[in-house]
Amino acid sequence: MSIMTIYHLVAIFLLCIGLFGIVYRKTLVGIVLGIELMLNGAGLSIMASAQLTPTPNELGQVGALLVMGIAAAEATLLLAILLVVSRRFKNVEAGKLVTMRG
Amino acid sequence: MDNLLNENLAWAVLFGHIAIIVAGGFITVLSESLIRALMGLILTLFGVAGLFFLMAAPFIGLMQILIYVGAVSVLIFFAIMLTNAWPGGDEHGNISGKKVIYAALAAIAPAVFLGTAAIRTAPPSIFTPDETQVSELGQFLLEPYILPFELISLLLTISMAGAVLLVFERRKKK
Repeated sequence: MSIMTIYHLVAIFLLCIGLFGIVYRKTLVGIVLGIELMLNGAGLSIMASAQLTPTPNELGQVGALLVMGIAAAEATLLLAILLVVSRRFKNVEAGKLVTMRG
Repeated sequence: MDNLLNENLAWAVLFGHIAIIVAGGFITVLSESLIRALMGLILTLFGVAGLFFLMAAPFIGLMQILIYVGAVSVLIFFAIMLTNAWPGGDEHGNISGKKVIYAALAAIAPAVFLGTAAIRTAPPSIFTPDETQVSELGQFLLEPYILPFELISLLLTISMAGAVLLVFERRKKK
């Protein structure tokens, strides 16, 4: 097993545990935590693919930086959406949000 | 001899960080209190930052700590505080066995497919990656990769504006 495979398996673990969290958690905040785990796994995978193969290193580092930027943008927007949802519905449980009109 | 010691140390650091990531991941998804889950996420993020350092990319590792641990975690912390998702509140209570089975299926299916693919098709890898200078990274970002760089700044601007707009609109209606 090459060293890159170990990094990729860690990234796959992060993806799978994130998916598990998305299905398992009841509140929207718990789901957001799962999404962050998955995004982090994506960054790790991109980084390992570029650093540990003859691919130019800059490609992977810039890719990981872009993933981080997207994660930051996504977290900001999700905070705003969570605030609006919790004001309108008085809770943030995914199973109880069944309508688009508050 | 010295080389062997360094190699053993590198393996120990690698598996130590993997252990931190695995423990943090399980705390994140299984903890009943959301604050504890967030702490598990932060543990995982630190573990991934350690792996970045081990791959000879200290700049990205520091960015990981700055952006994820510094900014994103604080944002999620605000989300927990402002939505009353308290321990003993929303996340509390027994979870049906059906849900656990669905969640395990959702996790195991990609693990099997992607895991076998990653193990079978892995190209030979470099054992000691070279370090890239930050100046080279900046040059790369501003010359061949100028379009993604501009697009990510546009995305950040739009998402910040959207977040402010979402929260303002609700206040006006009150």
